[in-house]
Amino acid sequence: MSRKDFQNLDDEALLEYYHSTRNLKAFRLLYSRHKDSLYRYCIQMAPSGACSILEELWNGLLEQPPQLGGRRLRSWLFIRINRLLRNFTGTPLEASQNPEDQGNKLLAGIQQLSRIERNILLLHLECRLPLATVADIERISLRNCREYYRNGKVRLEEFLYGSKRQPWQIQEVEEASV
Amino acid sequence: MSIWESQYQNAVGEISSPASLDDKILQMARQFKPTKVENPWQSRAAGSCVAVAVILLLVHPAQYLGALTPGVHSANGTQKNPLDGWHQSRPGSTQGGDPWFNLRSQVEAGSYIELCSQWRSQQRGSASDKLPRNLENKARAHCRLLP
Repeated sequence: MSRKDFQNLDDEALLEYYHSTRNLKAFRLLYSRHKDSLYRYCIQMAPSGACSILEELWNGLLEQPPQLGGRRLRSWLFIRINRLLRNFTGTPLEASQNPEDQGNKLLAGIQQLSRIERNILLLHLECRLPLATVADIERISLRNCREYYRNGKVRLEEFLYGSKRQPWQIQEVEEASV
Repeated sequence: MSIWESQYQNAVGEISSPASLDDKILQMARQFKPTKVENPWQSRAAGSCVAVAVILLLVHPAQYLGALTPGVHSANGTQKNPLDGWHQSRPGSTQGGDPWFNLRSQVEAGSYIELCSQWRSQQRGSASDKLPRNLENKARAHCRLLP
């Protein structure tokens, strides 16, 4: 099977093919499909341990093939990496101490969110997982998950654009400045 | 998609997995050697059949149809035996392995008795060796045709 044929396979078929043949090209394609997304997620959740967690994740996949049972590989990867992130107790999953170091206000704003809000926001936004799957990962109800997601978005917008709920404060500031 | 969501996509678009991490993970993947794909058509039985076919081809008599087999002449006589043109030097021959040396010497000396005798034998079809062309020409010129 050539590389061109690999391109037509979806993740699940490609994983099955890899584990039956151990074809390095198949794994390379599979890895290239998810590596950046996983890295971006991981670096925002655990900046200090992203590389070691990702190594552990891929090593586990290589050594013991996952039994997907009809699930999508993408979901399996993020469920697995969430478990690794929870077990990564060496460095707490806390926000960056100096968000301006990120060089991007938006990414710094995401770092200001609580762990659960950040996780839900990133899993839905970065990893394109449905909120129902995200709720399963966080082991909360879908309703609570939606609430966390909405709160996270509101807090992020406040961080980026300021509060819109108290326009009188702007008038007060303007009067003070005059 | 809201504005900040598209901003997020732009912001993280520059972040990608570091090459050192990629190398390390691909190095781990290389430790798992590719397994050989079992092809049912390349089974042991099929391999044995191929071996038998090759042996049959090698030992089949048709393999040697064109070979030079001394003493065996073609059945229909149309095919020229390549060995016909080859004559082992007889012990009686003297100079340079020419079997007609003695006869040639006699002809050159003016004696056509032996030549004509040989020629007649050849005409009757009882001669074992055919005269060379130059001697044939001399025999035609000098020997009488006997009934």
